[in-house]
Amino acid sequence: MGDDGVITDDARLLVYESDGLTAYRHRPLAVVLPRDTEETARVVRRVGLEEIPIVPRGAGTGLSGGALAHRPSIVLGTARMNRILDLDPVNRLAWLQPGVVNADLSRAAAPFGLQYAPDPSSQSACTLGGNVAENSGGPHCLKYGVTSRYVTGLTIVTYRGDVVRLGGATREQGAYDLVGLFVGSEGCFGIATEIEVRLVPIPEGVRTLLAIFDEIEAAGEAVTQIIGSGLLPAALEIVDGETIRAVESSAFAAGYPVDAGAALVVEFDGIEVGLDEQVAAAVALCDDAGAREVRTAQTEEARAALWQGRKKAFGAMGRIAPDLVVQDATVPRTRLPEVLARIREIGERYELTVANVFHAGDGNLHPNLLFDRRDSDQLARVEKASREIMQVCVDAGGTITGEHGVGLDKRSYMHMVHTSVELEAMRRVKSVFDPDDRMNPGKVLPDDLEPPSGENSGRDGSPELQGDVG
Amino acid sequence: MLSGLLPEGQVLEGFRTEEWAICDRVPEAVAFPESDEQVAAVLRMAEVQGWTCVPVGKGTWLDGGQPPSRIDVVVSLTRMDRVVEYEPGDLNITAEAGTGLDLLAKRTKPHGQWLALDPPGLQRGSLGATVATGSAGSLQAAFGGPRDHILGATLVRPDGTILRLGGKVVKNVAGFDLLKLVTGSWGTLGVITSLTVRLHPLPAVDRAVLFNSAGDAPLADLALMLAQLSIPIAALDLLVPGEAERAGSGATPLVVVRLAGSRAEVEESQKLVEGTAPDRPERVLEGQDAARLFHNVQAVEQGAELVLRIRMLPSRLTRMLGLAEEVRAIVETHRGFGMRIAAYVQTGVLRVIVSRLARGEDWLEEGAALIASLRRKAEEDGGSLTISRGPSQLMQLVGAWGSMDSGRVLVQGLKRAFDEHAMLSPGRLETV
Repeated sequence: MGDDGVITDDARLLVYESDGLTAYRHRPLAVVLPRDTEETARVVRRVGLEEIPIVPRGAGTGLSGGALAHRPSIVLGTARMNRILDLDPVNRLAWLQPGVVNADLSRAAAPFGLQYAPDPSSQSACTLGGNVAENSGGPHCLKYGVTSRYVTGLTIVTYRGDVVRLGGATREQGAYDLVGLFVGSEGCFGIATEIEVRLVPIPEGVRTLLAIFDEIEAAGEAVTQIIGSGLLPAALEIVDGETIRAVESSAFAAGYPVDAGAALVVEFDGIEVGLDEQVAAAVALCDDAGAREVRTAQTEEARAALWQGRKKAFGAMGRIAPDLVVQDATVPRTRLPEVLARIREIGERYELTVANVFHAGDGNLHPNLLFDRRDSDQLARVEKASREIMQVCVDAGGTITGEHGVGLDKRSYMHMVHTSVELEAMRRVKSVFDPDDRMNPGKVLPDDLEPPSGENSGRDGSPELQGDVG
Repeated sequence: MLSGLLPEGQVLEGFRTEEWAICDRVPEAVAFPESDEQVAAVLRMAEVQGWTCVPVGKGTWLDGGQPPSRIDVVVSLTRMDRVVEYEPGDLNITAEAGTGLDLLAKRTKPHGQWLALDPPGLQRGSLGATVATGSAGSLQAAFGGPRDHILGATLVRPDGTILRLGGKVVKNVAGFDLLKLVTGSWGTLGVITSLTVRLHPLPAVDRAVLFNSAGDAPLADLALMLAQLSIPIAALDLLVPGEAERAGSGATPLVVVRLAGSRAEVEESQKLVEGTAPDRPERVLEGQDAARLFHNVQAVEQGAELVLRIRMLPSRLTRMLGLAEEVRAIVETHRGFGMRIAAYVQTGVLRVIVSRLARGEDWLEEGAALIASLRRKAEEDGGSLTISRGPSQLMQLVGAWGSMDSGRVLVQGLKRAFDEHAMLSPGRLETV
């Protein structure tokens, strides 16, 4: 590996203690930074001799503790595997190493009029390998879909250090969709060392509008109306009043009115002709839903300003509270208004500040609980409120994570959405890829596949007890 | 053998099971369960008795795919054809697996929505079979294949346990994505009993712009140029008629561009498309007329004796056409329509559709040798060749699927994880 490929000194290991979820900190035994597939395979084989677990890690921007060495383990970082191996503009495909930064891929494709569609908020830092592990989304996934739609092939290194090629844009093999299965497996199935992705044309034109509402429920209603009207925006994002005030009192002030209940960012893209027509239709629907004001942008600069309040939301929140729990639940879009009302009620009941910033068009909520962990009473209330919010989302037909993954953080919520039979099926699939439980062990699946007593999703895997579908 | 397990009328035994033969293999019995529980009961009984089961949808595609190595019981989802839940505002629909695609379209159309999936086959083919076989058509490049459309599925495993995979929301990363295993699993992991699929708003304008030419080569060039445009194209197909059609009605090869969207978008896109082509379009079809054309493209495999599917990088279209030409050596050109070609240009999929094979003395050996050689050439070019349907003797010699050089162990492990006793659709996939 060479000296610069292995990190063992405490000072440098500090960086690897946590990921984007800073609540947990665990120092790994060591960090190794291989340069390619072969080196990765060698590392995995060597570490395997010691029976030490491996935790794969990209840029460490994950929000569920997935890249954490919470058991004594080696972190395998992809930082030095950051080359774009090939870019084929004619067939709109790219081959890259997992450490390539998401935004860098789009930058490399731009001269050919192409881009990589999934755009997580952390895209200037997060890596494609991490995106594959988490099946990442982003604001524009409403129109374009999430990571799994764009990954067509993978080279992976298995727990034994074997190199296996999965899928490929031109391969039809009469086998299971191993690429689809691997995407979103959170580093538990192996390490992706080469990734084949589809690129898409950069849209000719973009239009953005910002609608201001007195109540967040009205903004939710506008989303329902826009989706129901047959319009297909590229993005539909809501920022609530709490967040607006945080942003406006920070260095990131975007000029959103501080007395608003919510702001809705609507974006359309596509061929230039017809965009204005779509904007006009969306403005009318926002007005109908009770928008106080609708702003449109005429210049690229003005467009960036409309997005500012959304894009800087998380940065701003960090400034008004020492700690932040970022939740990530998805609900059916039509249930947004009532779920938002329930979340507000839960926040009030626990006397907590809840700030909502989210991908409304996908029904992907991010209720953020602001608190100070030194206050143990407040911490306990945060934990209770978080669980209640999750339950509300699940009861509305939703799920416990839309894009951040389960990682270490949400394992205890898994029983809310899966029966023990389903969790057992997941465990078996994990064993197919990693029978010795050496790849990122202790993530995704709860330690006990049976639900804790007194707590149950109300679902059961035995056929006799099945109710209606869903 | 199944009487007592299911109510009378839900089981077919004796000579009438011939109608449900799969690739010429006649089952002992056919079960028509009406619920997840009944599917589970049949599978549990089969597991105890050591019967092999092959799940099917409505039976419109029984001679497709790799023949199962053994069939005792066919489990048909024909009677599970109800729409379970449809909330138009959520842009998704949940239906039982035996629901026909035509029925789904009928339900969603009044709400201005559609399932943007056009697999080869008849409109009444079932949603479950479409997903189980991973079948996609012209719309795949723009809208994705079945894997990209399904949000949730109910899967009954051979041991009778019921898994609800995914859900009803568009973004869901709560655990490992077992839902992906369902697509293209060909009934080897479990019986799919219901599916939640995402819907799209119906476009205001749906238009097909047709270009023709006497030769295939200039059309392939045109198709590739059109594929490079950065406008949204709903579908881009290259269609080459059979010998009989050319001789009879004077049909010529066509490039078909499907444009879907608002009127302004479609008009503008059509201008760009026409600006790219050297000649004026031969025809422009709209609405029902355009839809009919694409239904024909979908149904083209029906009744054919042999269908090959070649896949390469889209830029290799001319190479694929060259490989297709070699197939003509084994075609009975005077019967049926002869040999047709239908390519999905943007995904790099080319289908060769043969009405009747020439049956000389050594037709079987010759056919197998030719296909094996074409497959080798496709694989050397980084592509693949599969057989969507063909005479079962031929399939036995050459196999529907190509070689699987990597990942075989994982596929076999997954099969064991779901179907320990290998009682579901044995032999349907290459390795399991």
